[in-house]
Amino acid sequence: MKKAVSVMVLVAVAALAILCFGSVASAGEEIKMVGVITKIEIAGKDAKTATATLKDNKTEQSVVITVEDDLTLDKFKDHRIVEGDEIRCKYEVIDGKNVSKLFRKTAGC
Amino acid sequence: MSKFRVTMTVLGLALAATTAWGAGVHPGKESIEKSGYKGPETCEECHPGSAKGFLDTVHWKHASKVTNVEGLNPKEEYGMKNRIYVMCNGNDIVNNLKEIPKSPVTGKSKFSGCNTCHPGNHLSDVGSTGAAAEAAVDCLVCHSTDYDFRQRKPFKNEKGEVVMGQDRSVKAALAIGKPTVKNCMVCHEAAGGGVIVKRGFTFTKETDAHAAKGLVCVDCHKAKNHKMPTGHDPNNWANDGVFVSCSDASCHGVKPHKDADLNRHCAKIACQTCHITRTGGAFAKDFTVWEQTPDKFYEPTTLKKEANETTPVYAWYNGTVKNAPHFIGPKGSKKDGKSKITPFKIFQGKAYYNKRTGELLSMDFAQPMSNGDTRAGVLSAAKTLGLKNPEKIAKEAVPGWQTIYFGSNHLVTKTKALYCANCHAPNGVLNFKDLGYTDKEILKLTSPELFMEKLAQKQKEDW
Repeated sequence: MKKAVSVMVLVAVAALAILCFGSVASAGEEIKMVGVITKIEIAGKDAKTATATLKDNKTEQSVVITVEDDLTLDKFKDHRIVEGDEIRCKYEVIDGKNVSKLFRKTAGC
Repeated sequence: MSKFRVTMTVLGLALAATTAWGAGVHPGKESIEKSGYKGPETCEECHPGSAKGFLDTVHWKHASKVTNVEGLNPKEEYGMKNRIYVMCNGNDIVNNLKEIPKSPVTGKSKFSGCNTCHPGNHLSDVGSTGAAAEAAVDCLVCHSTDYDFRQRKPFKNEKGEVVMGQDRSVKAALAIGKPTVKNCMVCHEAAGGGVIVKRGFTFTKETDAHAAKGLVCVDCHKAKNHKMPTGHDPNNWANDGVFVSCSDASCHGVKPHKDADLNRHCAKIACQTCHITRTGGAFAKDFTVWEQTPDKFYEPTTLKKEANETTPVYAWYNGTVKNAPHFIGPKGSKKDGKSKITPFKIFQGKAYYNKRTGELLSMDFAQPMSNGDTRAGVLSAAKTLGLKNPEKIAKEAVPGWQTIYFGSNHLVTKTKALYCANCHAPNGVLNFKDLGYTDKEILKLTSPELFMEKLAQKQKEDW
């Protein structure tokens, strides 16, 4: 019995630690990443939203970012930002979507 | 054709143009649709002489004669074309657009150079003149709202020359007009090595009172014949000989406030001091150590902040500039009768200095970008500039820091402007001691006695 209680306590502590310190994004948390765009999806000239898939430089994982701000959407539309560009991005998880809060090319002249 | 018919035809065209312009449509649409867009020669049908005139502007020459900076030859022209300082360290001459050596890691190359923003085709480059240069002007990159930036990429032509592409499509040409914020920001937002690096501002309704009012860049930088008015930034030397002033009668005038006490401040305090309380962008760079980026190329190590994340430093500024190997910044004093207390963004950069002369050296980015070898960049630049013993100069070059005071002229605020107690307090934003005030003056300047009655009354009215 004592052993079972100890195991349960350990599991609870571990779960709490993961919740507190884990890297899994939760709603409202701002996540930073730098990555290269592998795909941009935007529906036409009047689109109010778009998605860009970034390959995270650190983890090499693909992350789909939803872009809603007019400035970045305009850069997708006139191709100032294109696939292959490296991007510095901050996003928040909102309703299961990674919504961009900052989306900028790292390069300049 | 009779004189009368000619006159009527011209008047008719003028009327049509005015009507179209008034409706927000640039005249000449039918002509462009019918004949296509052929670059400046199409624009010249209605704007004769524009291309030639444009070749004599800073946007094309990246340089001009400079009269307010110490140590310069008044007969020479200075600017991005040839300056050596630590925000860029390269310039159009030593770091000309080219295909850089292949990365030893990936075997890939890329195009890079300081003059990638030049509105020509690179064959007609910074400061070029003549018919070919006139034909090479990329009018649409500044004047079209429907420019396809996939076209504006460097490539090599059949002769192996590096050419900058342009969008000369009818679609882009049909979307011409006065430059929008976007047109200007295409180049100006990413200067110095990335977005919000050099200038450190964004021009949006959230960050600038002028943008919130719907103004665009060229409402203040109102060009005539493409001569672009600028401010008096100690680090922005090239100019078209025309300058922006907040106190223009058509803008804020010489008495911009309803409050006479505030207007009295205008004699000694620049508008920016109270109305631009934040700066941003890069605050330090190291050109002697380049960091490898994920694509295995290298970039100078850069520390930066967002727009609005740093505070300015304040100094007296009379419009003239101290220009020394380790310092570029404002000249002025409390006593000269011309200076105003002005805010600046501080930037510090590390680069190589000539061991023998103590002068700042410049760098060709091709080599360090490829393999991180910064001294090879110094060597290449020294060779390009024809310095004697370039190998010795590069080998012995001494790393050192330069401090630059950048003008802080954007991020204008009305609602968050500094008010009496922000400065006139012992913990105020102005360091009166550094600004040359005596202890007795400081005691008076930092006492609430100055504003107590006035602010108490205001507080009563507000609540």
